[in-house]
Amino acid sequence: MGSKNIAERVEINAGDRPVKEINQDIRSQVQAGNPILVSNTMSRHNLGVGLPASADILFEGSVGYYCGGLNDGARIHVTRDCGWGVGEAMATGHITVDGYAGMSAGASMLGGTIHVRGNAGPRCGVAMKGGDIIVEGAIGYLSGFMAHSGRIIALGGTDDAAGDSLWGGEVWVDGPIGSLGVDSKIIEPDPPEVESVEKLLAQHGLDGPDRDWKKIVSAQRLWHFESRDARAWLMI
Amino acid sequence: MCGIAGRILEQPGLIGVDLVALMQAQAHRGSDSTGFALYGEPRQNSYVVRGVASDRRALDQTLDGFLQTLRAHDSDLIEDPSWDDTTQRHVSLRMIIGELDVRTWLAEADLQEGLEIQSVGRSLEIVKDLGISQDVSLKHNITDFVGSHGIANARMATESRVSPTASHPFWARPFPDIAIVHNGQLTNYFGLKARLQRQGYTFLTENDSELIAVWISDQLSRGLTLEEALHSSVGELDGVFTYIISTLTQIGMAKDRWAIKPLAVFAHEQEMATATEEQAVRKLYTGEVPISNLDGPGYSTTWDVLPAGRA
Repeated sequence: MGSKNIAERVEINAGDRPVKEINQDIRSQVQAGNPILVSNTMSRHNLGVGLPASADILFEGSVGYYCGGLNDGARIHVTRDCGWGVGEAMATGHITVDGYAGMSAGASMLGGTIHVRGNAGPRCGVAMKGGDIIVEGAIGYLSGFMAHSGRIIALGGTDDAAGDSLWGGEVWVDGPIGSLGVDSKIIEPDPPEVESVEKLLAQHGLDGPDRDWKKIVSAQRLWHFESRDARAWLMI
Repeated sequence: MCGIAGRILEQPGLIGVDLVALMQAQAHRGSDSTGFALYGEPRQNSYVVRGVASDRRALDQTLDGFLQTLRAHDSDLIEDPSWDDTTQRHVSLRMIIGELDVRTWLAEADLQEGLEIQSVGRSLEIVKDLGISQDVSLKHNITDFVGSHGIANARMATESRVSPTASHPFWARPFPDIAIVHNGQLTNYFGLKARLQRQGYTFLTENDSELIAVWISDQLSRGLTLEEALHSSVGELDGVFTYIISTLTQIGMAKDRWAIKPLAVFAHEQEMATATEEQAVRKLYTGEVPISNLDGPGYSTTWDVLPAGRA
C-alpha cells in the first residue's frame, strides 16, 4: 500500500499534551492538505478520531484506545501496537497496524479495511456491520462475536470461541481454529468468494500459495432465539 | 470500571512515586477514592499496623482501647503511633506493634468501636482515602515511601459505599502482608463469603475484592503456591474481574474467562510495572519499551520480588 515517506510529513508531537489539543493539530494539518506524522504517541487514547477521506496519518509508536475510531475515509498507519477498539465504528477508510491490534479491533465498524500485521486480541470485529479486517497473525478469543456483516480474515488461525454468536458476518481462517464459538459452523466457501478474498489479500501484498480456507458463519439457530432454549446457549 | 496498578523496583526505592504516577495517569478510571499497598523494609520482631479511626475527637480513647487489647495479648506499641494532621473527621493511623498471634489478637481488636484495622504486616502498609491519586498522595506523603514493591487502585464504586474503608487495596484479613486490588465484580460473592465465614474468617467490608484476597490466602495456607491459587481462582470465582494480589515476595494477577478487563505490563529482569491502561505504564518508561497486554481469557501469572541486594 502506497504511503508517503516520513520526510514529506508534518510532524505532530503527542507526548503528555491534552488529547483534544493533539487532535485539533491533526485536524488543522488535514485541512491544510498535509500528510501527518504523529510522534511520541505514548499509547495515548482517542488519537485521530473521526478523520475525513483526505487525511493521511502515520502514528510512529504504540497508540491507546480507539485510534482511528469513527474513521470517515482516512488512511491511518500505526507502526507498533494498538489498544482497545482500533477503528471502532469506522465508516470507511483504511487502517494498518504493524504490531498487535489489542482487544475489540474494528468493533462495530461499518466499512473500510483494517490490516493488522501482527495478532489481534479478543473480540476482534465484535458487532461489525461491514468492511474487512485482515489479520496476518491469529485472532483472539471470541473473535467475530455477534458480527452482523463484513469479513474477518485471519491468516494465522484463531483462539477459542471463534465466530461466537455470529449473526451475518464471516470469519475466514487459514491455520488452526482454537475452537468454534456458540452457534457457529464451518462451511466450504464458493470459488467466487475465495477469489474475492484472495484479491483483497493481493491488494495488501499478501498473495500466497493456495490457502486452506475455513469459512465460519452463523449456524442460524440463534436467529430464532426462544427462552426455552436458553440452556443450549448457557456457557456457565 | 476502576484502574489498578502494580510495581516492583529493581532495588528498594521510592516505590510511592511510581505508584502515584501510575494512578494519576488512570485517575479518569475512578475518582471516588485511591489507595496504595506499599511494601517497606520487612521488620524482624514487630508488625506495622495501618488503620482508620472514625472520630478525631475521640482519638485518645481509641488509642487507649487499642493499647489495652494489645497488652492483653502480651504485646505492646514499639513506637509512638502517628497519624495524619488534617482536620478531617476520620484519622489515618500508623502503629508499630510487638510480636503477637495476629489472628487471635485481631478477633478481639476488631471488636473495638471506632477503629478499623486496614492492614497488618512485617512490611505491608495499606493507605487509602477519598479522592484521586494526587490528593491521597499529598495527604499521606505516599511519594516519600521507600520500599520494594506495591499495588494501587483508583476506584469507581459500583457495588458498595464510598469511604476509606470500602476503597482498595484490601488486606487479606488476617494474613499478614497480603493485599489485593481489583477491577471487576464477582457474581458468586455471597456463597463464597458464607463458606469462608464458616471457616472462621471475618470481613471488614461487603466488598467482593476483600473476599478474593481472603480466598487466595486461604488457598496459600493450604499449601498451594501463588501460581496455583491464582490459576484455580479463575474457575472458582464467577464474574468479570482482573485483580492483582501482592505478598512479601511476589505480585500476581488473574483474569476471568470472559477476558474483558484489561491489564498491560512491562517486565524486564527484576523490575515490573503493570496497569489497566498501557498509557499509564508509559509514564514510567518514556521510550518505546515492549509492553505486553495480558488479554487472554482465564490468564494468570506472577512476578517475583527479589530481596534487597540480590538484584
